[in-house]
Amino acid sequence: MSDDTATTPDTQTPGNLSHDVHQRIGVLTRQLHDSLNGLGLTEKVKTWAGELPDAKSRLSYIARLTGEAAEKVLNNVDQAKLHHDHIAKETRRIGALIVQDPVAAVAKGHVMNFISDVEEASQEIDKNLTDIMMAQDFHDLTGQVIAKVVGLAASIEEQLIQLLIVTAPLDAASNRIAPEPTPAVQPPVTTALQPVLAGPAVNPESNPDVVKSQSEVDDLLASLGF
Amino acid sequence: MANELKFLVVDDFSTMRRIVRNLLKEIGYSEADEAEDGVIALHKLRNSNFDFVVSDINMPNMNGFQLLQEIKKDEKLKRIPVLMVTAEARKEDIVLAAQQGAAGYIVKPFTKATLEDKVNLILTKLGLK
Repeated sequence: MSDDTATTPDTQTPGNLSHDVHQRIGVLTRQLHDSLNGLGLTEKVKTWAGELPDAKSRLSYIARLTGEAAEKVLNNVDQAKLHHDHIAKETRRIGALIVQDPVAAVAKGHVMNFISDVEEASQEIDKNLTDIMMAQDFHDLTGQVIAKVVGLAASIEEQLIQLLIVTAPLDAASNRIAPEPTPAVQPPVTTALQPVLAGPAVNPESNPDVVKSQSEVDDLLASLGF
Repeated sequence: MANELKFLVVDDFSTMRRIVRNLLKEIGYSEADEAEDGVIALHKLRNSNFDFVVSDINMPNMNGFQLLQEIKKDEKLKRIPVLMVTAEARKEDIVLAAQQGAAGYIVKPFTKATLEDKVNLILTKLGLK
């Protein structure tokens, strides 16, 4: 960028300053436009514009999924603790009854009732533990989504660095090494056997191409004769 | 007989491998091994005897579709049922999996009941249960 438009602040009038700023912005805009074209980035920028809202909804998806998982775990821990507290309390009560009168404790059915209680509570606690385990599946789903967002951020960073190198001021440019020509971005090789994988559907309601539930998967497979 | 079946759980996320293995154990199948991608899975399949594969799709090195294709190409392995358990929810992926010979398809997140239903259904169809 030429420096001939630069003036010292104390000699500028507000009108001159405004004109100067506009001129500089114009030069920068033209330079940015030419650089984007020169690097073949125009199309890339259009793609980013489309991908950034997608990245936003992916991050919202991660926040929702991790929140739901935490909620599910805490709810199941609360329920399991209730069952556990009940069994602990009953154990103390039955223990006291047996010490007091072992024959009566059995004869009056206290022991059998307790055994039945323990079995029931154990089943409920087991179910809680399974649900807590299943809640950890957010790690897989969010991991895939995070990888996609990181990929987008890395791509933008890489292209912006290229842009920065090309648009560096002339004094810096005199010291710089000529940037490698940007290789044309090769789309991943796709065949019928290896489609580009989309990962978790972050917003399935608005996408008719994805299934929204396991029953839709089953219906689709059934329609194909499976 | 069915409870002695040996499963191979293929997923690049260790959390998911543990979840699937634990669920299989809960529904009565305690014989299971793990692989973190298709390449490792194929190596294990060729060097040991497995009766059932539960595989993710989106994995590095060799994805689930490629693994399925390799299994179906292999005379010794092609009869092993492959149940896809994946976050890939696009209809085209489900159709492709079916066309390539997947025995079933489960979309993540899933429940214990869903896994149990699909595994039992596949084993029943194959006369292994």
